[in-house]
Amino acid sequence: MRSKSYFVFALLLVATMLLTACQQAATPIVQTVVVEKEGKTEILVVTATPAPQEPAPAGPKVLYTNFKTQGDVPSLDPAVAEDTASIQMIEELNVGLARLNEEDVTIVPGIAESWDISDDGLTYTFHLRQDVPWVKYNGTEVVKVQNCEGADRLVTAQDFEYGFLRTLKPETASPYAYVLAFAVAGAADYNNAKTDDPTTVGVKALDEATLEVKFLEDAAYNINIISLWTGYAQPKWLIEGDDCTDARGERWTETGFNQSYGPFALKEWVHDSFIALAKNPFWPGSDEIPVPTLDEINFTMLDETAAFAEYEAGNLDVILQVPQSDIDRVKADPVLSAEYVQSPALSTYYYGFNITAPVVDDVRVRRALSMAVDRQGLIDNVTKGGQEPAQWFCRPGLIACPTVADMPDLGVKFDPTEAKKLMDEYLAEKGLTVDQLDLTLMFNTSSGHQKIAEAIQQMWKDNLGVTVKLVNQEWKVYLETIKSADTPQIWRLGWNLDYPDTNNFDREVVAAGGSSNPTDENGVGTGGFFWKNDKYEELVKLAASEKDLAKRTDLYAQAEKILVWDDAVMIPIYWYTNLHTTKPYVTRTFSNTGAEHFEKWDINK
Amino acid sequence: MAKPASLEGITSLSGGQPRTMKRESLWLDAWRRLIRNRAAVLGGILILILWGTAIFAPVVAPQPFDKQVLTDQNKAPQWIVSIFPTMKPYAKISSNYLLGADYVGRDLFSRLVYGARVSLMVALIGPIISLIVGVIYGSISGFFGGKVDNVMMRIVDVLYAFPTILFVILLLAFFRGTFAKPDPGSFKYAISQLDGRLGGMLFIFIGIGLTAWETMARLTRGQVLAVREKEFVEAARTIGATNGRIMFRHILPNIVGPLIVAETLAIPSYIITETFLSFIGLGVNPPTPSWGAMISDGAQVIRTYPNQAIFPALALAITMFAFNFLGDGLRDALDPRLRGTQ
Amino acid sequence: MGRYIARRLIYLVVVLLVVSFITFTLMHSVPGGPFSREKALPKEILENLNKRYHLDEPYAVQYFRYLNDVMLPHFSTKAPVFGSLADDFLINIKLGPVYLRWMNFGPSFTSRSRTVNDIFRQQLPISMQLGFMAVLVGMLIGVPLGTLAALKQNTIFDYLGMSVAIFGVSVPVIVLGPILIWIFGVTLKWLPPTGWGAKPPYVLGLLPAKLGWDFFKYAILPAIALGLGSSAILARLTRASLLQVIREDYIRTARAKGLKESMIIVRHALKNSLIPVVTVLGPIFAAVTTGSFVTELTFGIPGMGKYFVTSITNRDYPVIMGTILLYAVFLVVANLLVDIVYAFLDPRIRYE
Repeated sequence: MRSKSYFVFALLLVATMLLTACQQAATPIVQTVVVEKEGKTEILVVTATPAPQEPAPAGPKVLYTNFKTQGDVPSLDPAVAEDTASIQMIEELNVGLARLNEEDVTIVPGIAESWDISDDGLTYTFHLRQDVPWVKYNGTEVVKVQNCEGADRLVTAQDFEYGFLRTLKPETASPYAYVLAFAVAGAADYNNAKTDDPTTVGVKALDEATLEVKFLEDAAYNINIISLWTGYAQPKWLIEGDDCTDARGERWTETGFNQSYGPFALKEWVHDSFIALAKNPFWPGSDEIPVPTLDEINFTMLDETAAFAEYEAGNLDVILQVPQSDIDRVKADPVLSAEYVQSPALSTYYYGFNITAPVVDDVRVRRALSMAVDRQGLIDNVTKGGQEPAQWFCRPGLIACPTVADMPDLGVKFDPTEAKKLMDEYLAEKGLTVDQLDLTLMFNTSSGHQKIAEAIQQMWKDNLGVTVKLVNQEWKVYLETIKSADTPQIWRLGWNLDYPDTNNFDREVVAAGGSSNPTDENGVGTGGFFWKNDKYEELVKLAASEKDLAKRTDLYAQAEKILVWDDAVMIPIYWYTNLHTTKPYVTRTFSNTGAEHFEKWDINK
Repeated sequence: MAKPASLEGITSLSGGQPRTMKRESLWLDAWRRLIRNRAAVLGGILILILWGTAIFAPVVAPQPFDKQVLTDQNKAPQWIVSIFPTMKPYAKISSNYLLGADYVGRDLFSRLVYGARVSLMVALIGPIISLIVGVIYGSISGFFGGKVDNVMMRIVDVLYAFPTILFVILLLAFFRGTFAKPDPGSFKYAISQLDGRLGGMLFIFIGIGLTAWETMARLTRGQVLAVREKEFVEAARTIGATNGRIMFRHILPNIVGPLIVAETLAIPSYIITETFLSFIGLGVNPPTPSWGAMISDGAQVIRTYPNQAIFPALALAITMFAFNFLGDGLRDALDPRLRGTQ
Repeated sequence: MGRYIARRLIYLVVVLLVVSFITFTLMHSVPGGPFSREKALPKEILENLNKRYHLDEPYAVQYFRYLNDVMLPHFSTKAPVFGSLADDFLINIKLGPVYLRWMNFGPSFTSRSRTVNDIFRQQLPISMQLGFMAVLVGMLIGVPLGTLAALKQNTIFDYLGMSVAIFGVSVPVIVLGPILIWIFGVTLKWLPPTGWGAKPPYVLGLLPAKLGWDFFKYAILPAIALGLGSSAILARLTRASLLQVIREDYIRTARAKGLKESMIIVRHALKNSLIPVVTVLGPIFAAVTTGSFVTELTFGIPGMGKYFVTSITNRDYPVIMGTILLYAVFLVVANLLVDIVYAFLDPRIRYE
């Protein structure tokens, strides 16, 4: 019958396969070798057992990881990127003029091999290397981009100039242009459309290898600002089109079109799903930015709990942010706890005061509330990520930020007895009881912030006897509320670095006109803290141009004392940490600046 | 009214025991059928227990729902750890908490008990709002018929195409935004005070109630249309009853049955809507406990501390079961086509 | 029938206009705009952004501009190129030397290199694939359970059957999902914990390129989690409807004629009792295929679901409008299809 013969045939097939497989065992080979020895020819018969076959070379080195944030990456375009995930990708795809070493936070050369600074500190002349090609992924491999004459396109100073100007152009509506506008000469006016002549901006390509940048202030952090992603080179021919390239406009970063020049190239971007980066073999490499060892990196965009489940199932190799809900389990598990690392992150979590609002307009109340927060207890029981209790605002690790080791008594600490004393003093003077105090704490809707707020609400009740109401608002509404005339008495916010210098924290956030302390044209507060302290302003302005690191740190220390103690404008709560789990076969570095540098990683599965 | 003498003692046409014809009201008949439905009875009892727990919460709950003991965070009793052995390496044991403590050391069981209040309020106010809006709308449409009915139903048809949950989210965002900082003494202020006293739930109730009003309106309209043509309505009209009187005293009492059934069956979906809203952060204000909020908090730690999600989910499931069975039973009991069969 | 369908399609346009108007008004009355940032944007940058997206124009102008982009066809002689965001239309037809282009739902404010059309093209097929399978699961579980419950009314089978169905609706996916992932994905490792087995480009714009185990293994857990919810509705409806039908006269006649009971149920009773079931399939299908937020979030499925919710929290106006209009289209079309199926199921129903 037909089925029977098929069966026999199949059996034969299987048997044949098995037999051939068995013959893979090494059999001795007999070889005849002709050898010349001292003029005499000899014929030897050599029996050699071939060396056991080396295991087939491992497949391509692919690393599977997630992002620190969740959801789709909003943009890969340096001109408009503003969030950590986008910036992480852009920093792997492209390189700035200079770059930050992610471990010791020092400035190292990027595309610019060297730069000269003028005597007045305002003009920087960058000398660019000339061997970096533009590349793209053509569907199968990474290839070099050619111009209309068939020659390879190399990264030039004109590309950087184009990148800067595009970021500043009003039509681009770049949310981060303000950083450049703040520091570079002529940038503000161009960005505000007060002039539409791009040549007034202090960024000029003198020739293909030289870029000249003019700054407004002689500041130590100028080099940081100019190396931010907002100033990366962008491919003009791809965005605006030329004779042999279609104009891709805002979608030049999509799969199949993206062109970049850094250690990795974009292989595939499936929105809401993952981004795959492929090694750029044409990246010339430098001491600081080597040619990558990894062949490919796959970043999944899963929600953090789902991502961690994948890690435990063995499908992800690295988790860049362990969910807080799994920390207890991770720390108690023998395997996971060995893979778990806590590293500092340059961000601060704080509660701010509207110092013009009732009750909190008295500095004693503010200081009492600040001292009544048991930061360590909060970290041990609620956030659990090995964060550090924050005594001031800037995060130690930033350039020129004081450290707890150096200044252990600077700022504010948990001291419930002192806090109660201050509060009683206030109540006695005002003739009030603690129940008559009407206080509200507002935060944006999120289960994490809620947990912290509930815990702190209880601390205030236990230590001071005061009942604070909790109100939460949706993020978009909340942001408007806390920067308006209706800013609540106590409000929650955090700050994550733009660049790792204390200026970004102490001046750009909290000083008058800063993002948490907005003012109108006359310098009058319009939201946030509603605070202006002339001594503070003076200190941070001096610190900006101070070149000596020790003196600079000391200036900031004095400023912080005013910020969190004398005026107690905010309650610094904790300094962030990054929580990673990494499989043992991954060799990696840990970044202190926020973005990892994957070109230094290796995987040996 | 006395029984007509001629009918007394009549033997049945089919022979056998003499049967006396008794006048039975619709409700009594339905009640009898309901009692016989064991699942519905079980559902009813569970709901009564729920009511009792909610009302007597301060008595039933061993601890206040907002008492935090930070150092007791996530503690669990021994029996829970023995059910979930994966918890052994890290769980901290404590016998103070019947079902365990949550992330800031509040007693889960107490919060479950107080959370029943929220679920019950949803189960109560949701139908009220939906009935008020839906029944009024549907009655007007069905009663006046003709062009009015046509237009009103067209409007409902169009609104059906609007995803209600999104409508609720938009509405909540709108309410919370505009009622955030009202001037004291104004209408807005009074509303926001009421909202605060309800634990921030006023707008949620309104929103939830509005998710099903179109169905109620359609249902009411259909029922009104059917009853409107009946003789007793015509009779009432001939003796000069006004429209309003006819509506209230004659039509509404006769259609109330299916409406009750529909609302009871809709309650589980209201409760789920509240859970969903809590999940996306538009739920109650802390520290007011609600099962929905407890579930969504617990879902995040479900692999670490499963008890924090499973018990609120169980409470929710049981409540939904109860309302579903009761609603099914009510429907079976009131359905005239099933009358006389069992 | 043709005139009926045409009338319903005109009706669809009316619905879309009304829905779009309500949504537009509501979303602009909600406080908070798309460009609120933690690091507050300087006034000039904010103005730039508003100008770029036409948010500085009066509301009426914005609304009519939107209607113009979405509803009116545009003609151009340039071939469409994947590039500028403003130039992205869903439908592009070449008519001789001219291109007919239709339906531009606008750019997304949140993702700077995508338009709403991109989101439709890339995420909607995934939600529809999941939706189909979830509805299938719902029917495979719900209809048999409801039938059983109706035939054995008020017995243990009735209670048990309905309990299983109600269980599906009572345990929220928020809890059921992670449990399923935990058991089958992480511990037993039989199925992948998260993710989806298909990515663009799709066959016919909808179907996954490969329909093998590699695709279905991702779909099993989420389809079950999502389908259980609709199974309860379907079970209850089947039960109620079947209960009514088996009391009808023609069933009694069939029994009197001596037909086998199972034959009666399957050939006569079930077919007619499915009419109300089919009615509700319309809205169920619309809801489930336009994405279930919680299921997709829990299982890491890149579908449309999250856009419904996140667009509102992000105040991403074009996406809000797009998703709500999409839902409306799905609902009206689903109901239309259901009504057409009605006409085939029940010969007494006729449309002119």
